[in-house]
Amino acid sequence: MNCRQARNLFSAYWDDEITQGEREWLESHFSSCPSCRREYDALARTLEALSDLPRVEVSNGFADRVLAAAKRRSPAVDRMPVPVRRWVPITATAVLLAIVAAMVMQWSGMPLGPRHQGSVALEQPVLTQPQPVQTEPATPAMATVTSPDWVARAAGVTDSLFDHSEDVEFILDPVTLRKGRAHTVVRVQPEPARGEQAVITF
Amino acid sequence: MQTPLALDRDPTPVPIVRLSDEDLMGRVAEGDERAFTELVRRFQGRVTNLVSRVLNDREASDDLAQEVFVRVFVHRRNYRRGSKFSTWLFTIAANLAKNEIRRRVRRRNWFSLDALQEVLGDSSSHLADPTEGKEVSMQREQLQKTVGSAIASVPEKYRLALVLRDIEGFPYEEIGEMLNIPGGTVRSRINRARGILKRKLIPLLRKEAEQ
Repeated sequence: MNCRQARNLFSAYWDDEITQGEREWLESHFSSCPSCRREYDALARTLEALSDLPRVEVSNGFADRVLAAAKRRSPAVDRMPVPVRRWVPITATAVLLAIVAAMVMQWSGMPLGPRHQGSVALEQPVLTQPQPVQTEPATPAMATVTSPDWVARAAGVTDSLFDHSEDVEFILDPVTLRKGRAHTVVRVQPEPARGEQAVITF
Repeated sequence: MQTPLALDRDPTPVPIVRLSDEDLMGRVAEGDERAFTELVRRFQGRVTNLVSRVLNDREASDDLAQEVFVRVFVHRRNYRRGSKFSTWLFTIAANLAKNEIRRRVRRRNWFSLDALQEVLGDSSSHLADPTEGKEVSMQREQLQKTVGSAIASVPEKYRLALVLRDIEGFPYEEIGEMLNIPGGTVRSRINRARGILKRKLIPLLRKEAEQ
């Protein structure tokens, strides 16, 4: 071992966390190496200076001040029981039960409200050709929504979840793209709005 | 009027001063204020000393030490029964001291290394001048101030380990638990801190030894 290895042992030597073999070697090294001896003495004097530092005195009434501050800061729950909100687990359980019941009914083939209506729609004629949208010039959108013809046609559209062989066609409002954002084109001119068509296949 | 519940239940109460720290903390968790006061009395000196040496600020250390004990009381139910109370207490103290150092660094309300070197330089010349005729006690006091400043100049992550080990005398393993670092890291940090401190202080200590 050399001086560098010896200095690596200084802290452990001070802490008395050194093996007997290391201690004997280090002490014999000290006797032959005045430089390492001086370095260790310097470390020892430094650490003695630390341990010689006087203890900081605690101010009078410290414990009382701490207790008063602790009681002020302590949450009210520690001294006064707060009613536990029991509605949260009850509500969660009710929701969970409702979900499980719905899943069981679906798996067992029991008809649910909306699905029952869907099965009737399957028996209706399938709309395969797009129809031109007839709108009034003043309020074209509202006219499209409230039209009795549109409702009748919509009822006849096949639910694509059950009939994958048919394409469903949607009439879309005209849309323009500006700087990456879509803007619906609002036409206030007397000419009727012209829709564009898109075909989405499921 | 709040009464110590744990003592009321105990048919043969043990004097509170004879209870272990852990037993006292168990009672504090049940709301026993007398047990809490006893714990404060037992540890107020060590906690105040720790934060004072780490911050090198006597005035602020009183408030910070108070905050340590307030946290103990507020979070008393987080104390894990069976674990050593002093480790838990000094973990809180070390964390608060660390936060305070960082807050001061952020606010730049802390003396710089240059300022420290000025202090050390002044102290060095002061101690080196035998013609000044200062009393030995004053020299010692000055040296202690310088040692305090030198400790405060050690980087924070080494400083806490150094104070816990070389001033408060905790074993390495316990310091590792307090600072949440492995034992090997504790040793290397303490070695590093000792080396830094030795380089700063040894010129002063040699001169003092020569006088």
